[in-house]
Amino acid sequence: MNPTVAWITLRGLIGRRRFLLLFPLPVLLIVLAVVGRTSGVRYENWGVPVIDGIGFTVMLPVIALIVGTGVLGSEIDDGTITHILAKPLPRSEIVLAKLAVAFGVTLVATAVPMFVAGVITHSVRLGVACAVACALGALGYSAVFLALSLLTRRPVLVGLLYVLLWESLLGNLLTGTRILSIHQYVLTVANELGDSKLLTTHVGWPAALIMSGVFVAGGTILSIDRLRSFAVAGETS
Amino acid sequence: MNTVEAPPAGAARAVTAKTVELVNVSRWYGNVVAVNDVTMTLGPGVTGLLGPNGAGKTTLLHMMSGFLPPSQGQLTVGGAPAWRNPEVYRDLGLVSERESVHGFLTAREFVTASARMHRLPQPEQAVRRAIELVEMTPAQDRRIETFSKGMRQRTRVAAALVHDPSVLLLDEPFNGMDPRQRLHMMDLLHSMGGAGRTVLFSSHILEEVEQVSGTVQVMVAGRLAASGDYRTIRRLMTHRPHVFVIRSTDDRRLSVALIAEESVNGVDLDASGLTVRAGDYGTFTRALPRIALREGIRVRALVPSDESLESVFSYLVSA
Amino acid sequence: MPSEAASAPTGVIHDIGYQRYTGPRLGRWYAVRSLYVHSVRTAFGIGRTGKAKVFPWFVVGIAFAVALIAVAVRSQSKTVFISYLQFPDTIGVPVLLMLAIVAPELVSRELRAHVLPLYFSRPLRRTDYALAKFAALATALWLVFAGPQLLMFLGGVFSVSNGLTGAWVEFTDFAVGVAYAAIAAVVFSAIGILVASLSGRRAVAAAAIVATFLVTVPVVGVLEALGSETTQQIVPAINPVSLVEGVKVWVFQAHAFPIGDFGPAYLGIACGVVAACTALLLVRYRKVAA
Repeated sequence: MNPTVAWITLRGLIGRRRFLLLFPLPVLLIVLAVVGRTSGVRYENWGVPVIDGIGFTVMLPVIALIVGTGVLGSEIDDGTITHILAKPLPRSEIVLAKLAVAFGVTLVATAVPMFVAGVITHSVRLGVACAVACALGALGYSAVFLALSLLTRRPVLVGLLYVLLWESLLGNLLTGTRILSIHQYVLTVANELGDSKLLTTHVGWPAALIMSGVFVAGGTILSIDRLRSFAVAGETS
Repeated sequence: MNTVEAPPAGAARAVTAKTVELVNVSRWYGNVVAVNDVTMTLGPGVTGLLGPNGAGKTTLLHMMSGFLPPSQGQLTVGGAPAWRNPEVYRDLGLVSERESVHGFLTAREFVTASARMHRLPQPEQAVRRAIELVEMTPAQDRRIETFSKGMRQRTRVAAALVHDPSVLLLDEPFNGMDPRQRLHMMDLLHSMGGAGRTVLFSSHILEEVEQVSGTVQVMVAGRLAASGDYRTIRRLMTHRPHVFVIRSTDDRRLSVALIAEESVNGVDLDASGLTVRAGDYGTFTRALPRIALREGIRVRALVPSDESLESVFSYLVSA
Repeated sequence: MPSEAASAPTGVIHDIGYQRYTGPRLGRWYAVRSLYVHSVRTAFGIGRTGKAKVFPWFVVGIAFAVALIAVAVRSQSKTVFISYLQFPDTIGVPVLLMLAIVAPELVSRELRAHVLPLYFSRPLRRTDYALAKFAALATALWLVFAGPQLLMFLGGVFSVSNGLTGAWVEFTDFAVGVAYAAIAAVVFSAIGILVASLSGRRAVAAAAIVATFLVTVPVVGVLEALGSETTQQIVPAINPVSLVEGVKVWVFQAHAFPIGDFGPAYLGIACGVVAACTALLLVRYRKVAA
């Protein structure tokens, strides 16, 4: 994990205008949680759309996508990656630095609002559970999207397909795909740690933890290997 | 104009000369061969990589800098392969053709980041030297995205030099530089080469290459067409080629007289005229009028067979 | 006297003349129409590389596949499986995906490449550009709906039982379905093109469009869970997909979900959304640097 690479990556993320995109979704989440709480209706009725519908299904993957593809994808796009690669740094250091930044920024942008929303919805315990689940999801998504940045030239589109088609559509239609869905692991962890059993889960929590580990490790190792063989095309594009 | 500082070789570690060796290196993309069986050795000093656009210079530079694997052949920098070998960058600096820089950083931050990633023991000092070397000291605290093209280029050169590399690769470094900056860059490269570093820069403009002394490698359509001292190559390329077509009032008698000349290698006679292959351009062009006058022959047309630089390049390839 | 080895260097500047064009000029309307046609072609990847054709035609393939299934089931069981009005809702997700990919292709690419000065230095005005792009996107989406609906019509009209009257009923159903498709296409395109015009990076624009549509679903869910009967009838208007469904329920007397007395409100909100998005789009293109 190289601090200079991490610093450049962080500066690059924050400096860009796309950073502003990270704000509307958390704000919406908290606003709706407040609306729900102040309405007086029992939280079981509106808790799921808020926590799962907005938080875990939309806010977490979209923010993770924007950040995770931004840490490496934008540098590959405009060619500044050569400045980082033309250094005697082990490629694992570079990948871990970028993963750390992606995870960290996603974590702050998602776990904090999720904690607040969870507290508003029901209790502190729910808030903590949601935040921890968010952290796990952030790590998993970041690793996957980082790897996607190196595997394809359009990582955001492939990431969108994964989130939309694989996790949402197919996950509702074909139960088998649920074992390979980070969204499901997040739900499982949130349910296990929280006391409310609010969310419906389909994956047992040992499987969730193991598969999350597989995704994280797999994504990281794949990224490191691809970065080692990173080739630049002949002429300028 | 400021005098150029002597390269930091005196203050920093002594420059260990490293050679870049290519043996039968080829690179192809499907059916397109970008680099075709190139064998060359680059030693200390400045070498210019010259060739028309699309000749494969950038591909070659990417292979030398470890950003592209050769499809065939061996390519080593200081004895070690460049591909999949991050250690090679300890002694290698690269200035790529693409203008990309992290625009949101200031020049100083960018060069400092470069120094830190090279794990230099005293980054601030190295950064200061590198920035002074490229004359960017007054502008170093401005963001790079506010810079002109030439200033960005110089900042990237500073970042590539900050760790005192023995090998420096530059892809079209004079692109977008005004004459004064170009002169300064040439002086810089010249002094780096003189200090024993291996410097390779690519260009498609002959005049840029000729002002930097040293060897030249000429690439045409992926093949290495010529190597050696640039003056010799220059004469080969820009002076009149040695093939002339002559039409005169008495071709046969003229051909007899010409073949007696030392500077003439061969003469072909056919219905349209005389084709003369001259071994020494200068002598031949002085001898021809003398001979014609002596023999009383009127020369009606004297046409050098090819004029353009492109056909000169292909002449080199087919030679 | 022999000629010199090389004659004194001469140079000639050939007067080919600055070729003025004095013929007829086709003017602004032609420019707008050309941009519109070109944009529709771009949406489907016509005239571009194979890669640009993959996503749009994949979606078109899905749409036609669903239509074929509808036709097949209908001819087997003699009952309508998916009606013309239901069809746009059935393929809603793939079409939204297509929106997320095509809208950035139309506008984000040109923003990033800074080619807008090339457009605006022609008789084309900024508003013309924005409206032409909007119209092209709406047309593209409508074609994805209407093409398969035509297929369903052709499959259905030959299997009606009572001759000409049956065919006429079929045709009116088809026309209604196509009209509904147009409404849906216009509303979705308005939102999509506005969001896409905000970013020069196609990927970010695509993610933003998806997020915009996706986030409204749970918002509706929350408000539905909270509110009373009447709230539940109007709240779906927040989600563009259920908004146009609500318009369908009122305008075409379809059956989707209860909207109570809010029919006109749905239509009004739909028109308002389109108007607001168009206005913002025009503002965006008036201010974008060119």
